[in-house]
Amino acid sequence: MDEEEIEKAVIAYLKKKGFKQTELAFQEEQQHHTKNSSSNSSSSTDPDIAKHLLSFSESDNVPAQYHDGYSKLRSWTYSSLDLYKHELIRVLYPVFVHCFMDLVAKGHIQEARNFFNSFREDHEMMHLRDLQKLEGVLSPCHLEEMEFAHSLRQSKVNLKICQYSYELLLQYLHKTQSITMLGVINEHINFQVSPGQPSSISDDEGVTLVGSGQDAANLINQKEIHWGLLEDSLEERLEKAGSLLSDLEKVDGESKEGDLDESKKRAVEGGKQGASLKKLKKDKVVGATGKAARIETNTVPAAPRVKSELTLPAMPTEVEHSILEDLRNRVQLSSSALPSVSFYTFINTHNGLNCSSISHDGSLVAGGFSDSSLKVWDMAKFGQQTGSSILQGENDFATSEHVLGADGGKRYYTLFRGHSGPVYSASFSPFGDFLLSSSSDSTIRLWSTKLNANLVCYKGHNYPVWDVQFSPLGHYFASASHDRTARIWSVDRIQPLRIMAGHLSDVDCVRWHSNCNYIATGSSDKTVRLWDVQSGECVRIFIGHRSMVLSLAMSPDGRYMASGDEDGTIMMWDLSSGRCVTPLVGHTSCVWTLAFSCEGSLLASGSADCTVKLWDVTASTKVLKTEENKTGSTNRLRSLKTLPTKSTPVYTLQFSRRNLLFAAGALSKSV
Amino acid sequence: MSIVPKETIEVIAQSIGINSLSPDVALALAPDVEYRMREIMQEAIKCMHHSKRTMLTTDDVDSALNLRNVELIYGFASGDPLRFKRAVGHKDLFYIDDKDLDFKDVIEAPLPKAPLDTSIVCHWLAIEGVQPAIPENAPVEVIAAPSDNKKPEQKDDLPVDIKLPVKHVLSRELQLYFDKITDLAVTRSDSVLFKEALESLATDSGLHPLVPYFTYFIADEVSRGLNNFRLLFALMRLVGSLLQNPHIHIEPYLHQLMPSVVTCLVAKRLGNRFADNHWELRDFTANLVASICKRFGHVYNNLQTRLTKTLVHTLLDPKRAMTQHYGAIQGLAALGPNVVRLLVLPNLETYMKLLEPEMLLEKQKNEMKRYEAWRVYGALLRASGQCIYDRLKLFPLLSSLPPNAVWRTNGRVVTAMPNNKRKANADLLEQQPPHKKVATDGPMVIQSNNSMPSDIRGDLGVAAPLGDSEAVPSSSSSSRRIPSEGISGSSGSRVSSSRGGDQALKMSAVLNQAWKDDLNSGRLLVSLFELFGEGIFNFIPSPEMSLFL
Repeated sequence: MDEEEIEKAVIAYLKKKGFKQTELAFQEEQQHHTKNSSSNSSSSTDPDIAKHLLSFSESDNVPAQYHDGYSKLRSWTYSSLDLYKHELIRVLYPVFVHCFMDLVAKGHIQEARNFFNSFREDHEMMHLRDLQKLEGVLSPCHLEEMEFAHSLRQSKVNLKICQYSYELLLQYLHKTQSITMLGVINEHINFQVSPGQPSSISDDEGVTLVGSGQDAANLINQKEIHWGLLEDSLEERLEKAGSLLSDLEKVDGESKEGDLDESKKRAVEGGKQGASLKKLKKDKVVGATGKAARIETNTVPAAPRVKSELTLPAMPTEVEHSILEDLRNRVQLSSSALPSVSFYTFINTHNGLNCSSISHDGSLVAGGFSDSSLKVWDMAKFGQQTGSSILQGENDFATSEHVLGADGGKRYYTLFRGHSGPVYSASFSPFGDFLLSSSSDSTIRLWSTKLNANLVCYKGHNYPVWDVQFSPLGHYFASASHDRTARIWSVDRIQPLRIMAGHLSDVDCVRWHSNCNYIATGSSDKTVRLWDVQSGECVRIFIGHRSMVLSLAMSPDGRYMASGDEDGTIMMWDLSSGRCVTPLVGHTSCVWTLAFSCEGSLLASGSADCTVKLWDVTASTKVLKTEENKTGSTNRLRSLKTLPTKSTPVYTLQFSRRNLLFAAGALSKSV
Repeated sequence: MSIVPKETIEVIAQSIGINSLSPDVALALAPDVEYRMREIMQEAIKCMHHSKRTMLTTDDVDSALNLRNVELIYGFASGDPLRFKRAVGHKDLFYIDDKDLDFKDVIEAPLPKAPLDTSIVCHWLAIEGVQPAIPENAPVEVIAAPSDNKKPEQKDDLPVDIKLPVKHVLSRELQLYFDKITDLAVTRSDSVLFKEALESLATDSGLHPLVPYFTYFIADEVSRGLNNFRLLFALMRLVGSLLQNPHIHIEPYLHQLMPSVVTCLVAKRLGNRFADNHWELRDFTANLVASICKRFGHVYNNLQTRLTKTLVHTLLDPKRAMTQHYGAIQGLAALGPNVVRLLVLPNLETYMKLLEPEMLLEKQKNEMKRYEAWRVYGALLRASGQCIYDRLKLFPLLSSLPPNAVWRTNGRVVTAMPNNKRKANADLLEQQPPHKKVATDGPMVIQSNNSMPSDIRGDLGVAAPLGDSEAVPSSSSSSRRIPSEGISGSSGSRVSSSRGGDQALKMSAVLNQAWKDDLNSGRLLVSLFELFGEGIFNFIPSPEMSLFL
């Protein structure tokens, strides 16, 4: 306030900046000024400006200001009124993160570290992983380099806050003169002030500091999607007419899918006839292309039908027959009728098994190993397997090696060599005649299980391909990679057809929607996205997971999607609204795999905690509907059953068309 | 400032041949090193997840380095997770315990066995949702444990397939104790030691785990040892002690215990020898039963009803042995005078008709049977007597009646005794109206001088006609008896009323009720007197007795 103080501050500033000439000039002028007009005290400086100037003069003490400002704000928040406290506490996290990054950006590394460590505990519960990432930021250039930090710096956080809380906050900030905090809040937080009462704590879904932000996600999620099943599917036809052969005007193109006898069946469920044949997953080939039909209302109980946007391959008649046979023999599952689970345990893997895959009829089991090998077991040849199987052809082709089991029995597997890095994923074609594998060598390979040979090598990704999956009808497949893209391919082209870019981190898993028009991808950026295959656009973003998404599953009726993460949480999503129906809590470790039963009534999940859990899906969706009427309380899916294995983490789950559940995992003694 | 100290950077710099590293460089490099390390770890964790593992291995780090186009670190490849050892004296300093290997040893060692090849085994993890108990599946305990945790969250009607078997661990000491006690009960039930054992059973606090075993033991032994009187008695004592123990929660086991106890009460034969004093056992058991009913009657609300039903049924069955009747009577008597009044006395007369011939020397030649009949008679007498005593006891002893009045009644009764069956019915009918009049007077009289004995007497007088008018067809003997009594009573009351005069003219409903009760008891006494003769007088307190007589 005193003019002299201001002058001192100005001089100090000039000294600090090294403006010696200016300083001298200033001093000279000052002396001159005082000499001339000592009486002329007309310089009526605004006290506010003076204060500001003084506060700037203290700028050499920036770290302390941040520290003090934040700790004051924090203690004020924690002692605020209970009703508004949770809203105000939500402000703290973005302020904390940005204070830290400001400090780093200004070069006060040591102070930033101190600041970070003294307050990190507050946020560890909700944002542990973000904090772990940020912890590593140690220089201004890291901020630029690290995408997460960069996106945080670029975007504003949206916070919903009620009118009164907002006023409280502003009042506090002005009263205490904490200009630093005010600056941070103004710069990085975008308040959405709502009149009335504060929102309840329960719908406090936490502050997501994802770059694109909730806004963008909301915008994207307003796009229309057609989640219905394909027209003219096999199931539909089966429902319509008992006689099936009548309307089989088959298109004879697409010889890719070569004829094969798909009739090896597991007779386990043979006796159980009369299972009802409802809307189902496998779709019938439609020769015609066409844009999507208009969407039908979501309230219709039966899934609406849509036309395929892709040219789909033709299905051989014999295959169709066998599938229809399967559908007729399907066991109806429900919360009271739980499935039988057949478990394939890999032994002696020496920690080398990275993934496994089971064909739809359970007769073939593939394992991808870290030594770049891919091995396929034909379970139909196992003596212990029930049901007769018609062995197709001879297996003694050139590239395959038959290995005799150690214990005398003829334990065949076929070894596929070709990859030059760990195999991270494998996927059987719907009819079991092809096998896709993806590897750390950034390639995807197509193998024929008939010829036991590598057919194609798809190069396109630049980094390891984490996941690959055949479309429900074959011919097309999708891949997910460390290069943050998901790609759509067809087996007859070596270039990808579509590249889906948008995830902020690795794309870890990919699944097809049952009508083949969409794919879903789960990523390390903790989101799940839904992409339109035809246009390549992102049509949904599902935000809610707190850690990396490891597994996905699409319900057979196309309405729901389940995703499992690293912490053991499974989330059930409604595709049309983009909202989480319910989180399923139960697993204690990574959820490696998820599978819906064929009529969509059960969800099975397999986890690193060595259990298979069965969840009741119908209960949850019903609750969802009633919840809109009355404020439902128990909207969590019922966990129907936990099936523990004997120290075998569950890698893969697969429902057969007859609703037998296959599971696979590697026995690991250390777990 | 960063986790990596600048000294580390300097050491690394020296190790790659840069000797003169300026401290600024080290300081600037340190944070960057940490950042890069974290980056590599992040990628390594991704690789770990995609290898479906939850433990980070050197392979994952290698893959991560590969992703970043960095030369791998060689020499650490291992199929198993590394085993870290904690450095002594440091909290979080770990190292890998790497043993020095002698090349010679390695070369000279025989070739190791080839590792087993990967294969697949198949089993049923579940069949229609239920896990089969096969060696491939996790053992049942593991299955059960999580289902317990799950219970609170699944409130709905989910069937829980596996029930944990109840584990009942009995300590060695308790087992020894149980063996000792049972042994004593079976073999040496009259020893001092057994008495002490009973004492211990009645007082020790830690015996609850043994209760089911004792219950079973008792039930078992009673059913087997009905001929062994001493054993039965010992067992009943055991029950008694268990019941006494305040630390034992015996209620859940009562349903197992009661049959044995009731058996000991109403069994036809208890013990096989003539000398066995089974009467005593029955008396003891009767008290036991009564105490059980008293203690647990409010918890088991149908306990007493069931018991009395059994006993009354036994009593009223003429085919049952006298011993059984005796037990039933004793049991009922032990349950209290009210039970006797409600259940025994109404049947008393018919029963006496049955009993009487058994008691007479000329009718029943079997001395044993006669003895039994007399026992029953005694028990019956006692039960009824106690009942009547209980009734009379209710009234305070206040004898304000002039002795002459007593004398008069007394005289009447005495005179009535011999010819009690000679009164004519006509006489009775004649007398009824005046009696009724007296009856209306009665209460006022009582009220006026507050004398209970006179009350009774008055009641007796009143009771006679009322009872008469009601029960003329049914009980002839009592009706014949009652007039005489009634006369005496009415004469007494007349005296008092004349004396009391017009002092008390008020009538209240409350007193009316009390009068009714008294009336009943009076009638009771009369009928009892009728049945038992003078024997019943022993149970009447002396003042009333004297009054009565």
